[in-house]
Amino acid sequence: MDTLFRNSLGPTGWLLLGLVPPAIFALYFLKLKRQPIEVPSTYLWHRVIEDLHVNSLWQRLRRSLLLLLQLLMVGLAMLALLRPGWQGQALDGQRFIFLIDHSASMSATDAKDDVSRLDEAKQRVASLIEQLDSDMSAMIITFAEQPDVVQEFTNNKRLLREALDRIEPSAGQTDLRGALELADGFANPERVMDETTDQAFEVTEQQDVELYIFSDGRFPSIEDFSMGNLRPQFLPLGSFEGENLAITAFNTRRNEERPNLQQAFVQVANFSDAEQTTVVEVHLDNRLLDAAELTIPAGEVASSTFNLSGETEGSLHAKLDAPRDFNDRLSLDNEAFAILSKRSDGRVLLVTPGNTTLESALATERANRLAIVDKVSTDVLSTADFKTQAQTDFYDLIIFDQCVPEFMPQAHTLFVGRIPPIDSWKEKSPTEPIYGPQIIDWQRGHPLLNLLELGNIQIADSLQVRPPLGGRLLIDSTLGPLMAIAPRDRYEDAVLGFEIVGTEPDGAKTFNTDWPRKHSFPGFWLNVLEYFAGNAGASLTHNPPGRLVEMRVPGSAEQLEVEAPDGSRHTITPEQPGRLEYHDTSQLGVYQVREGSQVKQRFAVNLFARDESDIGLRVRKDSEDGLQVVESLAIGYVDVDAQSPTSQVRRELWKPLLIAALLVLMLEWYIYNRRVYI
Amino acid sequence: MSTAAESKLLSPELLAQLERLELVTRKVFRGRMKGERRSKRKGQSVEFADFRNYVAGDDLRLLDWNLYARLDKLIIKLFLEEEDLHFYTLIDSSLSMDFGDPSKLEYAKQLSAALGFVGLIRADRVRIETINQRVGERSPVLRGRSSVWRMLQHVESIQPDEDSTTLADGVKNFCLRNAGRGVVVLISDLMDKAGYQQALRYFVSHQVDCFVIHVLSQEELEPDLQGDLKLVDCEDQDEAEITVSAPLLKKYKQTLNSFVAGAQEFCSRRGIHYLLANNQMPVQDLVAKQLRRRGLVR
Repeated sequence: MDTLFRNSLGPTGWLLLGLVPPAIFALYFLKLKRQPIEVPSTYLWHRVIEDLHVNSLWQRLRRSLLLLLQLLMVGLAMLALLRPGWQGQALDGQRFIFLIDHSASMSATDAKDDVSRLDEAKQRVASLIEQLDSDMSAMIITFAEQPDVVQEFTNNKRLLREALDRIEPSAGQTDLRGALELADGFANPERVMDETTDQAFEVTEQQDVELYIFSDGRFPSIEDFSMGNLRPQFLPLGSFEGENLAITAFNTRRNEERPNLQQAFVQVANFSDAEQTTVVEVHLDNRLLDAAELTIPAGEVASSTFNLSGETEGSLHAKLDAPRDFNDRLSLDNEAFAILSKRSDGRVLLVTPGNTTLESALATERANRLAIVDKVSTDVLSTADFKTQAQTDFYDLIIFDQCVPEFMPQAHTLFVGRIPPIDSWKEKSPTEPIYGPQIIDWQRGHPLLNLLELGNIQIADSLQVRPPLGGRLLIDSTLGPLMAIAPRDRYEDAVLGFEIVGTEPDGAKTFNTDWPRKHSFPGFWLNVLEYFAGNAGASLTHNPPGRLVEMRVPGSAEQLEVEAPDGSRHTITPEQPGRLEYHDTSQLGVYQVREGSQVKQRFAVNLFARDESDIGLRVRKDSEDGLQVVESLAIGYVDVDAQSPTSQVRRELWKPLLIAALLVLMLEWYIYNRRVYI
Repeated sequence: MSTAAESKLLSPELLAQLERLELVTRKVFRGRMKGERRSKRKGQSVEFADFRNYVAGDDLRLLDWNLYARLDKLIIKLFLEEEDLHFYTLIDSSLSMDFGDPSKLEYAKQLSAALGFVGLIRADRVRIETINQRVGERSPVLRGRSSVWRMLQHVESIQPDEDSTTLADGVKNFCLRNAGRGVVVLISDLMDKAGYQQALRYFVSHQVDCFVIHVLSQEELEPDLQGDLKLVDCEDQDEAEITVSAPLLKKYKQTLNSFVAGAQEFCSRRGIHYLLANNQMPVQDLVAKQLRRRGLVR
């Protein structure tokens, strides 16, 4: 396959063909049979011939020119029969979509000649573009966190090349599905959705579209996707041995034993085949704080904890210093960032007529690490002291257990067994209680209900909780919603419809629910503390690149400025005061949110993706010959086999050779007939 | 006249043109019979030439009686004699002349007939011979308008001769046969491998007023040949193998031109009139224009 020549003729054929050049020679040595013509006199002709004999070299050359041309023609024909060719890629089809993965793992420099995978992908796409015929059109889509159409269908090679040059590596994770959907949309522009029946109609006949996926395959299989008229080809990039050390976790937290002490936690994963020893350095605002040596077995992780005693605020930066003999292929994940913020404990006020269950749930050690919980009785609600304090932003969260304030405080609130004293809540929620509701659904994705199992809770009675506009139902039961959350200015009000401990008309306390006996109960309250009052959340939350970052920003500035790690600044106008939504997180590093010149908040964007850091190509053992092959992509029901990076279509030269032979023949004919004199 | 008009050699138009012409020679020759041209000989005419003393035996009729009366001497009055002109046409009838359309020989016959006609109507002695005639073989001498028919018959009877005589031999034989001085017109293609020079030298030594009309066919002037050919000489079956090519044709034309130029130069050096004729050129044009310009006819 990879030889320069490929014989296409048997020995007999070659023997016969080999006889042709000697035959041509022999024919040239044969006496030319000349046509006799009678002329009046050969007197002048003899003199002409005698004159020309002087120039017989030219004469002979002219004759041998024909001989040379004939031999050249036979030579070309023989060369064409040898079928010279080389490895190349052939394009078969009319319309092409090049899907180029530019996720973080594509920055790995394990492609040929130690260039990055993305560069190799660009080279290969460029060579494919060169092979486009004028009637072929192609488009380029990149995909990482988000798919992006770099160039729509065109047959203009210059546009395609320019678009290709524009592709930059990103730090995002891989989302092939979005890219496939985008490609599908472009491949079938004539498909029309009927809104009423939700069916797709194809207006014109579909044209097959060749889909070239340039990726390293570091993403899970894609289900429920129909390729339609897309004909995918997977061209894997990279090597099987992905030598890479990566920081897979980096955050700050409070020391378990000594809550006053902050710690930085670094986890390093070794994706190579051998045990590696590496040094992890932790910097605070470009000042080296500490370093630790970690020995990580092959394919395992190791972690280290750094004490940050005395340090209060700043940007933490962890760096891997890989051993010298270790060729770390991906440098993006050798750094990680975290925010060390001043530890201000959340303040929570629990207003309750007396509820030991709830009080003990908020008094756990873990809860204490999250917030300082003050407890007051319902009597203080009417005091002027409370009223002023409630308006000062002093508390992060006020929990109203079986009671309601006269007006809403300047804090997040959680109402237990009561509806907040706001018209928007009261209008929606019926006052009549419901009896024996069974929980059927709850928002597992909401941080308040994160990791909770609520299906087994029995409830005696409850209020139906219907949030105002903009609110969200959190727990739904057979008889109606039991919990909801809704925003109020820059705060949020959560309402739990059922009491934990009810008070009988006679004053006796009864359990309204068996929830306190379930595992989910303390978890729920920890979630509550963490969600409303947990200040350390900023450090714990992981912001992957390319994703939306949502955060609270102290104060109610109209305009905020976000400074990216590279120093560029973007002005953001928050939709709600105190809440920041920021999209442009393509860079890894620390982003600073400023109001004027004052840094209000910081957040770090980190890769922390095992799929991206584990850069080796996914391997499938071939059952037949035991060779390592690249795992195919599973898209819908189709397994897209990896095209071997080297075994491409052979480009052969025999056609141009035969055409050249034909041209030589025509030239020879012309020279013979027109007596062209050289 | 009617007989001449019927011949294919001379058309009536040509005859009408020729009637106005006469043969010219720059030299004065002795004729044989009474004619219309001045002769070297003194004789009877109206034009006075000289006086001479009477010697016994002179014709008494020539005595100038007036002078005898005045001077009492017998003096004979001499007058210029007007005699006829010997006009010879020598046709090369070799096989090489039998080429072209019309063939060069045919062309030569037309030309000789035309010139002969001019001579006959001016009472010149016209003799038309061919190269291949043997020494003893004489052609008839024709004189007077009444001989036109005989002349045409004779010219038409000329056929290409397979006995190849060289041009030099033919001219030599001609000179031996015809002692009379006069005008000789040689109509030939001069394609003689032995060379034409010797032949022309015979004319020079024979002291004739010589015209060479070099007849070449269109095929010789502009050969229309293609391919690999074996050229066969029709006279001696000599062969020449050629592969026709543009340079070869170019070379041929160069050679032809130098051949023609050589013949022209050879003739002009020796006082021989030379005229190149193409067999495509009408005879009347040749006679009325070219030959008139060269001074053979007037």
